[in-house]
Amino acid sequence: MSVAERPVEMAQRPAEMKSARLGIDWRGRALDRAPFLVACLMLALIVAIYGSLQSGVFSLDEINLDTAAAMTLMLAATGQTIVLVRGGIDLSIGGMISLGTVIAATRFTDDPSTVALWALVILAIGFLIGAFNGLLISLLKLQPFLVTLATWSILNGVAMIILPTDGGSVPGWWVSFGYAQLFGLTSPVWMLLALLLFWWWFRATRVGVTIQATGSNEKSAFLSGVSITRVNVITYGLSGLFAAGAALYLTTQTGAGSPTIGKDYILPSVAAAVIGGVSLFGGRGHLAGTLIGAFVLTLIGNLVFVLHVSSYWQPVASGVILLLSVLASSVAEKAARNRVQ
Amino acid sequence: MDLVTVKGLSKRYGGIVALSEATFSARAGEVHALLGENGAGKSTFIQILSGAVQHDGGSILVDGQDYRPANPDAAQARGIAAVFQELSLIPDLSVEQNIWFRHEPRTFLRTINRAEMRRMTLALLDKYKFPTLRPEQELRRLTLAERQIVEIAKGLAKDPRILILDEATSALPAREAEWLLKLTRQLAAEGRLVIFISHRMAEVRAIADRLTIFRNGSTIAVHEANAVSDNEIVTQMIGRHLDRLYPERIATATDRIALSVKGFSSGSRLSGVDFALREGEVLGVGGLQGHGQRELFQSLFGASKASGSIELWGKPVSIGNPRQALIGKDGIALVPEDRRGQGLLLTKSVRENLTLSVIRRFTENGLLSRQKEAALVKEMVDFLRIKAGTPEQLAGTLSGGNQQKVIFGKMLLTQARVLLLYDPTRGVDVGTKGEIFQLMRNLAAKGYAILFHSSDMPELVHVADRVLVMRNGGIAATLGGERISEASILRAAMLESEAA
Repeated sequence: MSVAERPVEMAQRPAEMKSARLGIDWRGRALDRAPFLVACLMLALIVAIYGSLQSGVFSLDEINLDTAAAMTLMLAATGQTIVLVRGGIDLSIGGMISLGTVIAATRFTDDPSTVALWALVILAIGFLIGAFNGLLISLLKLQPFLVTLATWSILNGVAMIILPTDGGSVPGWWVSFGYAQLFGLTSPVWMLLALLLFWWWFRATRVGVTIQATGSNEKSAFLSGVSITRVNVITYGLSGLFAAGAALYLTTQTGAGSPTIGKDYILPSVAAAVIGGVSLFGGRGHLAGTLIGAFVLTLIGNLVFVLHVSSYWQPVASGVILLLSVLASSVAEKAARNRVQ
Repeated sequence: MDLVTVKGLSKRYGGIVALSEATFSARAGEVHALLGENGAGKSTFIQILSGAVQHDGGSILVDGQDYRPANPDAAQARGIAAVFQELSLIPDLSVEQNIWFRHEPRTFLRTINRAEMRRMTLALLDKYKFPTLRPEQELRRLTLAERQIVEIAKGLAKDPRILILDEATSALPAREAEWLLKLTRQLAAEGRLVIFISHRMAEVRAIADRLTIFRNGSTIAVHEANAVSDNEIVTQMIGRHLDRLYPERIATATDRIALSVKGFSSGSRLSGVDFALREGEVLGVGGLQGHGQRELFQSLFGASKASGSIELWGKPVSIGNPRQALIGKDGIALVPEDRRGQGLLLTKSVRENLTLSVIRRFTENGLLSRQKEAALVKEMVDFLRIKAGTPEQLAGTLSGGNQQKVIFGKMLLTQARVLLLYDPTRGVDVGTKGEIFQLMRNLAAKGYAILFHSSDMPELVHVADRVLVMRNGGIAATLGGERISEASILRAAMLESEAA
């Protein structure tokens, strides 16, 4: 048979391909990180201006305070970052945050075991609602924008039914969690560190890489054996879980529930991620950037306050910063693309 | 015993029959070529084997056991891996992450063990003598050829018993393609089955033990590779006798210069290119891949920047972007390299694709004339023999050869008479290739001036009137008449690089 007749010549390594570039492509790497670096620069600038106008900005107290103010947004934006890296978007977190706060404000009692139970229920609802979003998106092949817009509205309505106006209450000891201290750092700062640790771990797991890969190129991921449905269920489930976490944290700050408060976090969660260099097209982005973005958006509020101008300037400033960030990423992306050509 | 036995395999997509009662069998230790025109069912067949789609009817036996993978994972579990032509790679992951995607070694924290992954990558690349790849480099920074090599590594990383290579050589430069062919033989000698798909007959000749020919979704013939002639194979592939692949070359060039380029430079990629393309001439552009051919075509079309002077039909012009290049009868039109990405809107109809860039031609008093448009579209569909149900069929549903014809039609409708064809036959079946070459000669005879790059050297030798050989961004030689041969092109392309 011809198999036996044919002499086997071992494959030789071809001479180096002309396009192989040696050494580390520092410029390429810097361009990849440009949006993140721009976000850091913005934060430094804002802190500098803020510090020059207000005394005591460079202190542990200030860090504790600002982190406490930013933590709801940070938790919501963590979930949003996972979804954006997947190449989707989750608007339903607004409804989930509202629902979480009203459940807590109506069900929490002074009894710690009741609180623990209902806190777990809220987290479970968050995950399940998110998983449901993911399932709808995959099975019905619908746009994430539309599916999560619909679930946002539904959750909002349910929150209104449970608690029509702001109110209810959570126990005092629960509120005190919000400013509990350990080694001079309050719980929000520890939560911030925990989020970073989580991200460092998560994005190095197979699940994390698979979510990123699916956001980068869904068709390729599928051909590599990825179940797109499973990825969507996990991605949106995690987003719902973090939104529920944001709701629980928020009740430590407000001490009450609100059926409308969630909407204030939907677009800022996306904005924080984009400012931090997360690509809306999926596949690229880090939580560190998102957290910086959340700080930028929060500190803008402080800055407007110490500048003694109308608070209506805050959204104006946030918008301008968002535009600058998007501009920076698009310039960097273009430069990076031209390098490959 | 056969490793794979396929009987009565059928697959439909809506009303379209992709496979009908196809049969196939192959043994361990052989290189088995799968041949057929585009649309013959090869792609569907390998998608079924690799678990990307599921068949409607028929049976597949692997090792005598029923095989019906629900997804690519299930296929891999049975030892079958595919190197896909469209590539299954993730742009934002590194080379090594792509190779081991979803099979990464892990630490006790369930995170990916990077050190171990690096060791495995280097071992794999070394074992099969891969061309230089840097494991940590992000995939989107790689050229198409480098990506193709990563895709091959990814297939081999699964240590498959059956490896499917779908047009794996079409994106590779000559030396790397040669490496792959030897590697393919080596894999067969290790006792694996390699199912090899290629449109290049010479490659199939060089490495295949047997070949199976598909046509219209069915199996037409199975041959021992050394017991059948090229002509028989081609005849069976296209179902009719193909007189000749290459049309007769009748010199139709006039003395009129259509396109004159002087001192064309762009960074380090193009350095001082000078040439003149005459009316009625087919001017080939050859050389090793990556020596400036792509940049030359892109710059001439205004898609990337270059310095130097261009004269079109004797008039100096400056082309800053594709829109300026297209304007009027004295313009330039391009058939781009990546037809699915750059040339066609896959989700638009054949009609819309054809007329998109020439809407002005059938506007009357600011309104579109549907009749004029329909007449032009019909003229093009007939002239190019585009096989589409109606002009409203979506371009994405056409076979590769027919997609390429739509791009030609789009280009001809611009009325530009200087045509830039960048690898117009890449991934096109042999029947359509013949039609494209004939079309090129016909257009030349009508006075069109054609600049033609092909990665398949015999095409340049048989179709072009003259060949410019590029090396390091410049023209190393201009070959004409009797002096055009594969050997002379290679010599000119490599002379200096060999000496260096």
